[in-house]
Amino acid sequence: MPRPPGFALVRAVRWLVPRHLRDAWLAEWEGELAWGWQRAERGENLSAARARLHWRALGASSDALWLWRRHGATEMIGFDLRYAARSLRRRPGFVAVVVLTLALGAGAAAAVFSLVNGVLLRPLPFSQPERLVAIQGRATGGDPEAVSQPSSYLDYQDMRAQLRGFEQLAAVRGEDVTLTAPGARPARIGAQLVTASAFPALGMRPVLGRPFLASDERPGAEPVAMITHALWQRRYGGSPAVLGSRITLDGAPATVVGVLPDEARLTPETEIWLPLVPGPAEESRATHRFTVLGRLRPGVTIERAAREASAVAKRLEERYPSENAKRGAAVIPLREAIVADARPALLTLFGAVLLVLLIGCANLASLFMARAQSREREMAVRAALGAGRARLTRQWVAESFLLALGGGAAALAVAWVGMRTLVAFVPTAIPRAGEIALDQPVAAFLIGVMAVAAIGFGALPALQYRDASVSLGALREGGRGATPGRRRRRMRQGLVVAEVALATVLAISAALLVKNLWQLERARLPLRPDGVTFVQLQLPQGRYSDPAKVLDFFDRLRREVAAAPGVRSVSFAFEHPVSEGWTSSFSLVGRPEPPVGMWPESRIRPVSPGYFRTVGLPLVRGNDVSDADRFGTPGSVVVNEAFVREHFPDGDAVGQTINRGQMWWPGQPTHFRIVGVVADEPFRGVGRPADPATYYPQAQFPMNDMWMAVRADGDPAALARTLRERVWRVDRDLPVERVQTLDELLGDAVAASRFNAALLALFACAALCLAAVGIYGVLSYGVEQRTGEIGVRMALGASRARVIRQIAAEGAAVATAGAALGLVAAFALAGVLRSLLVGTEAQDPVVFALVPTLLVAVAITAAWLPARRASRIDPAGALRCER
Amino acid sequence: MPLRLTRPTATVLLALSRGFRHGFDILDATGLESGTVYPILRRLEDAGCVRSEWEEVERAREEGRPPRRYYELTGTGAGTLREALARYPEARGTAVPGGLRPRPA
Repeated sequence: MPRPPGFALVRAVRWLVPRHLRDAWLAEWEGELAWGWQRAERGENLSAARARLHWRALGASSDALWLWRRHGATEMIGFDLRYAARSLRRRPGFVAVVVLTLALGAGAAAAVFSLVNGVLLRPLPFSQPERLVAIQGRATGGDPEAVSQPSSYLDYQDMRAQLRGFEQLAAVRGEDVTLTAPGARPARIGAQLVTASAFPALGMRPVLGRPFLASDERPGAEPVAMITHALWQRRYGGSPAVLGSRITLDGAPATVVGVLPDEARLTPETEIWLPLVPGPAEESRATHRFTVLGRLRPGVTIERAAREASAVAKRLEERYPSENAKRGAAVIPLREAIVADARPALLTLFGAVLLVLLIGCANLASLFMARAQSREREMAVRAALGAGRARLTRQWVAESFLLALGGGAAALAVAWVGMRTLVAFVPTAIPRAGEIALDQPVAAFLIGVMAVAAIGFGALPALQYRDASVSLGALREGGRGATPGRRRRRMRQGLVVAEVALATVLAISAALLVKNLWQLERARLPLRPDGVTFVQLQLPQGRYSDPAKVLDFFDRLRREVAAAPGVRSVSFAFEHPVSEGWTSSFSLVGRPEPPVGMWPESRIRPVSPGYFRTVGLPLVRGNDVSDADRFGTPGSVVVNEAFVREHFPDGDAVGQTINRGQMWWPGQPTHFRIVGVVADEPFRGVGRPADPATYYPQAQFPMNDMWMAVRADGDPAALARTLRERVWRVDRDLPVERVQTLDELLGDAVAASRFNAALLALFACAALCLAAVGIYGVLSYGVEQRTGEIGVRMALGASRARVIRQIAAEGAAVATAGAALGLVAAFALAGVLRSLLVGTEAQDPVVFALVPTLLVAVAITAAWLPARRASRIDPAGALRCER
Repeated sequence: MPLRLTRPTATVLLALSRGFRHGFDILDATGLESGTVYPILRRLEDAGCVRSEWEEVERAREEGRPPRRYYELTGTGAGTLREALARYPEARGTAVPGGLRPRPA
């Protein structure tokens, strides 16, 4: 009888139907389809009938699914789970190892994933964030550092007027301001100066009040401010009365017009938003201090926007050759602009933790395989009693499902603790840390890992029962199935080789990072940091508008602090030794004037006399700046050795003159004679090469923002208190937020390196331990399996030492193979690490030689216990066991 | 599991009561999809509203096709049908041309 149309469809889904109903079910559908086809053959339109039968046969899948749910799934799954739970209860040690490995492996991975997700993956908390981009300055040729990423205000305005692919363009600049209020300590808070267009551009809406309007940006407009929700709650108790209230910012009044949600912050420090009222600095096309961000029109791609922005930048370059030479424009997603620097470190850590998880899983796989082997007889009996392969597979999957469930719950707890710990230690260099949470994607990640584990570990043992002969062999008394046994041992050895390889990669990476950190921590700094404390001072422009007032303040403060007990020296500097600060351009008198746009730059570091002595920076040649340097006297300047290397490679810099070509204060000198040379401060971070720097006398460069450097004896905490009080004796409205020892500042400078190295070292230790456990497991199981064989050999005269050597050699062979593989992989991966290393070669030969040696040593140690056990085998006993 | 009395359930019950006993006959009579009717039949059988039998092999062999399964209403099923029609009186109109088919014996 030919099969009626549609029957193939029915057959395809018959597997869903529980076995005891399957034949009858298939027969029923066949009967109906055959009847339908027979009727159709008596004259109907055959192709229409065929189509109808196929359509009806499709419905068989619903039928089968219903039966599966009704009979198959619920009852059998319940049964399987109960059976699995009983069988697991008898092996608490096994359960503990599996749950613990899964909890630690997956928990740690989920914790690091929460970091990756919160920082790198989660969309920015603005509406339609995929349309938000940043426009950055980019050199059109050659040196990428020649052009600063931020833009000038005038460039922003031209971009805004000419770019068509953008719905909105906004300029943003971060700054710190002092918030003073009656009865409260003055506070230094983060502010964002934004154009009114930032609100539509980002899609931010105030939770209270109004956003900034174009009228707020006009010079002379009534000063207004918006505060974040957090500041509103903290300082104003969430009262709506805050709207219209007057606050004092940098000594000047402003009216609060709105409250913004906390998610709208662009940096974690932002607490207040101010309208960007263009001042003198905004009139210069050479002052680049704005981030330009925009919202693309719907349907406009980033590539198109980038082409357009490049075209506008080209026009600006032609029109303003002196300021905009070589200044192109790049358009990148705003999220990218915020997180790009954090990406390599986070991805490396995530990769590392995934490797640990993988190694843990390899151990578990090996464990499950061993367990499957030891339960071969149980399975064979069940198979002999009629359990099919699917049935046995379900049994294993049910067990691994329960284990994954337990492991998953424990992993969640580990992930939570891990995430909190990571967030507490995360270096400030990582943006968006406030958005790290155990949320849906992290949960999905964890569930995914556990599902893969459950299915994988369940299927592994089942795969071994592919061979019916294996299970039959197990039933025969004494049958050990030599060939499949060897194959299985090979598989487990392969797993261990992979484990050792992964552990080698991790250990080499960690060793490189730790070595780098070690070098950074003890890099020979030209400073004497012990006993030096820095205090950040920012004199509000409002009350300190004129240089005389500024200098008078610092003079009085120096006298106050110098008189404090234990203080040995006091001085002031713009920024501190590990701060990048600013650069400014200059030319050298007597040299040919450099072409437009190619003026050299150097860091500006105004200092008061005695700063070098205070921080212990050696004066290599010439003199310090002096008290005699004033407005009206000829300018003096001290330069660093990097400056000399760059500009006077074979001559003495002292006595030469710098022309700044600009005046920031009326009466400021423009020409400065080099009077001395000092050693290099690590501006760009410990371990990185220093740039040329110019130390102007504070009196000829009276900045409002300075750091006070104090060298003193005694307890730094007590000193910090004293210093605050002394500052407030001179100006009781001045905030003193940051008081840090130089040691702390130097420590912060390597915080990111330390975070990465610490985590990677932790993961590498875990990997090493897991690999050792894996080797131990495989060898001791091998010894157990070969008890008889070893017994025979010992009976035939093999010595104990020989047996030990043989087992240890097996361990060493596995470890060496793994280490060799790992070495190759680590060598290939070294490039990934390069971005995390400061001044160390990523292919350090010592590390690459030492780590594998260590791993092999660990492997041999792990092999010791099983080897000793093998050597203690009593030949007579072993032979008696040999069945 | 209590039986959910949906409108298609009522229609299937009505078709059964009018003598449509085979799955595809019920499909033809009611115009419902096979993916709807079969699960309903399974539910009705579970709830004791219908019972199923196989037609005699001889008869099928005479017609040169495999035997078909047929369903018939039980006493419980008749009660359920009354309940269903009370809830969906309009089902009377939609379902099935009346008249009995010869019962397969």
